[in-house]
Amino acid sequence: MSMHTKERPVPNGVILDMAGDLTYANREQFKTAVETIRQKGCRHLILNMAEVRFVDSSGLGLLALVSQNFKLSQGKVSMLKPQSYVREIMSLASIQKLIPIYDNEQDALGGQQRAA
Amino acid sequence: MPIPTAVTTSGNAADGLVQTVLVVDDEPTARIALAARLKRLGYRVIEAGDGMAGLDALRRERPDLTIVDWMMPEMDGPSFCESVRQDPALVSSQILMMTGNDQPEQIAEGLARGADDFLSKAASKHEITARVQAGLRSATLIRRLEDATEEITRKQEALERELQSAARYVETLLPVSGRVVPGVQMARIYRPSLALGGDLFNIVPWSDDFLGLYLLDASGHGVSPALRSSSFATFLRRDSLLRHVGSNDPGAILTEANKQFPLTESGHYFTIVFASLDLRCHILSYAAAGHSGALLHRRSGEVCWLTQPNLPLGFDSSTTYVTATLPIAPGDRLYLLSDGLYECPTADGELWGQDRLETTIRALGQQSLETVIAETIAEAVRWQGHEQFPDDVALMGVEIAV
Repeated sequence: MSMHTKERPVPNGVILDMAGDLTYANREQFKTAVETIRQKGCRHLILNMAEVRFVDSSGLGLLALVSQNFKLSQGKVSMLKPQSYVREIMSLASIQKLIPIYDNEQDALGGQQRAA
Repeated sequence: MPIPTAVTTSGNAADGLVQTVLVVDDEPTARIALAARLKRLGYRVIEAGDGMAGLDALRRERPDLTIVDWMMPEMDGPSFCESVRQDPALVSSQILMMTGNDQPEQIAEGLARGADDFLSKAASKHEITARVQAGLRSATLIRRLEDATEEITRKQEALERELQSAARYVETLLPVSGRVVPGVQMARIYRPSLALGGDLFNIVPWSDDFLGLYLLDASGHGVSPALRSSSFATFLRRDSLLRHVGSNDPGAILTEANKQFPLTESGHYFTIVFASLDLRCHILSYAAAGHSGALLHRRSGEVCWLTQPNLPLGFDSSTTYVTATLPIAPGDRLYLLSDGLYECPTADGELWGQDRLETTIRALGQQSLETVIAETIAEAVRWQGHEQFPDDVALMGVEIAV
């Protein structure tokens, strides 16, 4: 399945609404969407995973890469509302140690304020 | 049988190469007149007096263009075209059909039966030249395409041979089923998704009563993960571990490996489970990095997954991987496996899953280790409905008898 992304500015950050699968086949699309946001100087990227059904091992690597790249430019990445299967994949790989996971936008933005 | 094929060569074409035109016509006067005109234009001309002779000449000489008359006894122009299109060796030949009756229906029929273009018998000298040149342009493009395809096929075959050779090398890195040390048996199956796999595993006796074993998975498929895996396998050799880590401790080994193998610039990484078996003290020690493919099947029937949620290698250089330990007893079996085994999907996308895998291993019980390994893979194959796994699949079983 392909992936669609849409960026949405919020106070002190950008929410990237994602729909589809975060997999090897869609890696370039995801990388481009995220890089565009980072190069605009965004300090807090919030990945809205509510409509993402599946993340494969490639997708997991991309999430780690994105988190590392944002860290290098003094930014951070958070994740919003992953579905239960995706949440399980994230938890097995302990992704929350790199990318905090939130259940609503308010908390995700609040997390950013605490970090600031 | 009339096979009047006369070959005459005259001047060169504009690009310096003499192009060959075959003229197939049963009427000598018309054939000779057209041949003469083509020769004057600088083409090499072959003549054939009927359809069968034309096909022979086509096979023998592979002309760049064939001009065939519609009206001929026995094999007419359209039948000639059909024979050409049915023959894989001739199918791409360019054919110009000559006719005195160029009604739209007839032209449509001729094209449908395999001609590429038409030439009216009443055509002017200029039109003949133009149509022959157009046909030859197509012929040149088709030849180039055929040459390029042949070149690609040849290169592809060379690449396949290289991959097979690399795959044989990877196989030599894997342990051989059988007795590892007295009292420890190992059986394994390795099924890479492509010729080359990114999963590797090994079991190495560090002494008579101490074994190190691991199963690693490089993300991605193909050449690059296979290269990364084999470089990682070199790092995991005993001498290298002594030099870089100075310890047998699985957690310490993964903590160091995490620093040595950062995320690649395209986001590739390793997951791994690393274990050691102390046969004297009967202790299994293990650590895992983003990998949950290890389970202990005790002689008592109890199954214990060696889960230890932690980041895959290279995600965060400051991660510390911690060793966990379990007591082991004679008759216990340890299985290390790729996630590709339990993540194989049905056509509907439903994954086999760790629960079904566990049920399968439980049901096979204390049958021989080889049987359990083979039957577990067979069960996964039955689940997905075909032999070819979409991801690399490795399964290594170790039975402790002492």
